[in-house]
Amino acid sequence: MALEAAVVEELRRIVGRESVIDSANDLRIFERDASIEGAIPDAVVLAASTEEVARVIKVAAKHRIPVVPRGAGTGLSGGAVTIRGGIALQVTRMRRILEIDTVAQTAVVEPGVVNQELSLVAASHGLFYAPDPSSQKACTIGGNAAENSGGPHCLYYGVTTNHVLGMEVVLADGSVHWVSGDAPDRIGLDLCGVLVGSEGTLCAITKIKVRLLRIPPSVATLLAAFPTIETASHAVSAIIARGIVPAALEMMDHMTVGAVEAHYHAGYPTDAGAVLLVEVDGIAESTRELMGAIREVLEENEGYALREAQTPAERDLLWAGRKGAIGALGRIKPNYYLHDGVVPRSRLPQVLSAVGEIGEHYKLPVANVFHAGDGNLHPNILFDLRDRDVLQQVEGAGEEMLRAVVELGGALSGEHGIGLEKSAFMPWVYSPDDLDAMQRVKRVLDVDGILNPGKIFPDPTREQVHLAGRTGLAIEAKWW
Amino acid sequence: MVVKGPHELGGFAVSSRGPLIAPVVEKPATAEELARRLHEAAESRSAVIPVGGGRAGGMGGPPLRCDVELHTTNLDRVLEHSQADMVVSVEAGITLEALQAELGKAGQFLPLDPFNSPGHTIGGLLATGWAGPLRQRFGSARDFLIGIRVALPDGHLASAGGRVVKNVSGYDLMKLHFGAMGSLGVIVAASFKVFPRPLHDITVEKTNDSIEDAWDAAGRALDLPLAPSALELFSDGRVLARFFGSPDAVNRMVAELGWKAAGSSLWAEHSRRGPESWARISVPRNALRGIVSGLPEGAQWWASPGAGIAHWSFGDRLEDVRTARAAAESAQGSLVLMAAPAGVAGELGAWGTPPPTLEVMRRIKRAFDPDGILNPGRFVV
Ligand SMILES: Cc1cc2nc3c(=O)[nH]c(=O)nc-3n(C[C@H](O)[C@H](O)[C@H](O)COP(=O)(O)OP(=O)(O)OC[C@H]3O[C@@H](n4cnc5c(N)ncnc54)[C@H](O)[C@@H]3O)c2cc1C
Ligand SMILES: Cc1cc2nc3c(=O)[nH]c(=O)nc-3n(C[C@H](O)[C@H](O)[C@H](O)COP(=O)(O)OP(=O)(O)OC[C@H]3O[C@@H](n4cnc5c(N)ncnc54)[C@H](O)[C@@H]3O)c2cc1C
Repeated sequence: MALEAAVVEELRRIVGRESVIDSANDLRIFERDASIEGAIPDAVVLAASTEEVARVIKVAAKHRIPVVPRGAGTGLSGGAVTIRGGIALQVTRMRRILEIDTVAQTAVVEPGVVNQELSLVAASHGLFYAPDPSSQKACTIGGNAAENSGGPHCLYYGVTTNHVLGMEVVLADGSVHWVSGDAPDRIGLDLCGVLVGSEGTLCAITKIKVRLLRIPPSVATLLAAFPTIETASHAVSAIIARGIVPAALEMMDHMTVGAVEAHYHAGYPTDAGAVLLVEVDGIAESTRELMGAIREVLEENEGYALREAQTPAERDLLWAGRKGAIGALGRIKPNYYLHDGVVPRSRLPQVLSAVGEIGEHYKLPVANVFHAGDGNLHPNILFDLRDRDVLQQVEGAGEEMLRAVVELGGALSGEHGIGLEKSAFMPWVYSPDDLDAMQRVKRVLDVDGILNPGKIFPDPTREQVHLAGRTGLAIEAKWW
Repeated sequence: MVVKGPHELGGFAVSSRGPLIAPVVEKPATAEELARRLHEAAESRSAVIPVGGGRAGGMGGPPLRCDVELHTTNLDRVLEHSQADMVVSVEAGITLEALQAELGKAGQFLPLDPFNSPGHTIGGLLATGWAGPLRQRFGSARDFLIGIRVALPDGHLASAGGRVVKNVSGYDLMKLHFGAMGSLGVIVAASFKVFPRPLHDITVEKTNDSIEDAWDAAGRALDLPLAPSALELFSDGRVLARFFGSPDAVNRMVAELGWKAAGSSLWAEHSRRGPESWARISVPRNALRGIVSGLPEGAQWWASPGAGIAHWSFGDRLEDVRTARAAAESAQGSLVLMAAPAGVAGELGAWGTPPPTLEVMRRIKRAFDPDGILNPGRFVV
């Protein structure tokens, strides 16, 4: 439904004529993020400053029009999809790095700054920004903060919320606030901590102050092959059980390795049932000692063809394979669909065999490439969207995989967020009281529910077709 | 229900307006019972003070009212320690020491070493947000709290997070309750990501002739490529540094520093510090030296320069506290009273200038505790 002409005019007065997109053809570009389901916004507004964001939200609040903040659109849970129409508030024009303080080791950035850009700029000061989603070449720091994104190196370094020191945000009434900021302890409630990971449902983020870390002087990266996913999973637990928390501990299964090797020629062992990519960093003595201990553990656990990167170029190549894995899977099928449930690490073998069985049952290829150290799965269900009937199968398989995760005491999402995609599953994990506590926060911060409506929480107004007839499956949150 | 005899809590039997004795003391044995008691209190608009270990008793403003003390001491079980997953779930009334003993059996630990130990409960630590020297390396419990269960005044028990180390399912309400001083609900259980005991743990010490030398020495240690996991600087010029890591790495750092070896029991001793009147100064790391240098001549303090925190035993120098608070606040930081005798917190204000977002915080407070029965007067919201 198109916005009233008068509203569009109001928006144009704020951001300029060219910066409001409302022609049907152009709007299609903003229909989706990197997930499956889409919806076309009524208008896209390209804001260039905090003030513009605030004024746009005020207009939306006045007319009760939904507003969906949007970064690079790489989200994998439909977070940036305008499912109730309204305004997609694109912030990618706000892409200045405002400050890098090399003494305090902090940076202040606008939300549209691309994750990798920040680390590249920080590198010239010997610093880096730790959270490194595999999509870091494209995704924005604003999107990362909204999703509380993770990445391979979050095993040791922690996820986005551990690195955000403060934010400037615009609330649903258009008011602008700084939450937290400079000092290690704040006075009052930790609004910043609650707003990180709120998926655009509580605020629009307009500035982010992040912690930067010193680039470690030494890095060791090792690739090891395993006969099966199961043996590789045991090796993961064994490393941690030895008291070693590597910087990164990633797994790829046979299918992924095949696709990656065909694309990158990084020397991945294509005969392996699974490979682990292990990285440790620190000073040379630590990396040497830790890598020595890790090699032992891997070999004790049937690891073979251990190969340590000898040069930075080799290391980059190994990582290019990992970070480009999802793209490389395009060689097998043009489309992928993935969930990112998390299980307690010791449950990896069980959940991966369940994932395998579900794939077989649905006759869909499934490629696993994931943050094994965190127990954070990424089963990529591969398919061809041109085959219209397959979609329901794909969603069904995905849902069953998530159910297996929850049954093993896991969580619905480790880093991609609940968004649109998993909102209906929230009652599997949380009781009505749990959800109500979360929604209290939503209700007081966004009284009219204009910010990214229809996300995170089950939406009774929306017919969730593939869920029909499955209500008996709700799992009580009896995890205490 | 227990009708209260003599006041059992050390320290603050007297509020700024005279003795404040709770008529009712409840020590529920289950989370459900605690939630029921809390709800009953809320229904009758009775003011409730959640009580954990009584170690952070002096923090916050003097309570305006207290009708019911709700003790968590009988909620002291380890609910599940999954060693292989390095995750532990506990009830809120368990003491930190009891939890560490359980984790220690598996060579694991929670990197929390708050002052005024022993005896802190996990619930109290989460509610106050206290941390100790290890914050330098591990952050505070905010960084490794992965799940929480809270009793709300409406009698509901609400959980958030889970038992996995990485989780973005729903809002992060762990952050909402962490440091909220029990103003939104009573924490009944929590889950943590725990850590393996370090392969090597060495403490070294340096005494310095002047405090300026001590700051410089601390700076050098913090600049090492493997930074200390804890580094404390004392007003007498002493600096303590603790290194965690692989043996060769730690040994090289220690050799480079050339400080004197010290026993790691120093840390347990240090964590027992809890003066009668003390304050926490929390400022951006690079402002700390200037602020601490501005404290009055002869001030007794200890600082974590890597974190931007100093604790100051301020005695009865109230005017000096005001000056130091103004300095901390103008550096975008804060000065908070950790404990103070009756009346002092009332006079100085426990928290200092409230944040500009106070109104937003109050809206959240009302959504959870509409009648303001939880810890009235203690917190800023
Ligand atoms: C190939 C691939 C690999 C990926 N790998 C990872 C990975 O390793 N780890 C990981 O965590 N994620 C990963 N992702 C998911 C995705 O990249 C992240 O969720 C990322 O943080 C999204 O950023 P974005 O700028 O694209 O946000 P968008 O997709 O534009 O938006 C995501 C959500 O954030 C909200 N939002 C965006 N900007 C703002 C803002 N300024 N203020 C308020 N809300 C805002 C939106 O409303 C939406 O709900 C991957 C995605 C792809 C396609
Ligand atoms: C009868 C009475 C009179 C008092 N008079 C005074 C006075 O005159 N002046 C004064 O300054 N203080 C006074 N207090 C406050 C008192 O000293 C403590 O601050 C209070 O009992 C907190 O418990 P604690 O000491 O065990 O703190 P801790 O256990 O160390 O906890 C610290 C904080 O966390 C909260 N907390 C503890 N456990 C939980 C949990 N599981 N969930 C949520 N929140 C939790 C506490 O309420 C407190 O705010 C009084 C308290 C009572 C009961």
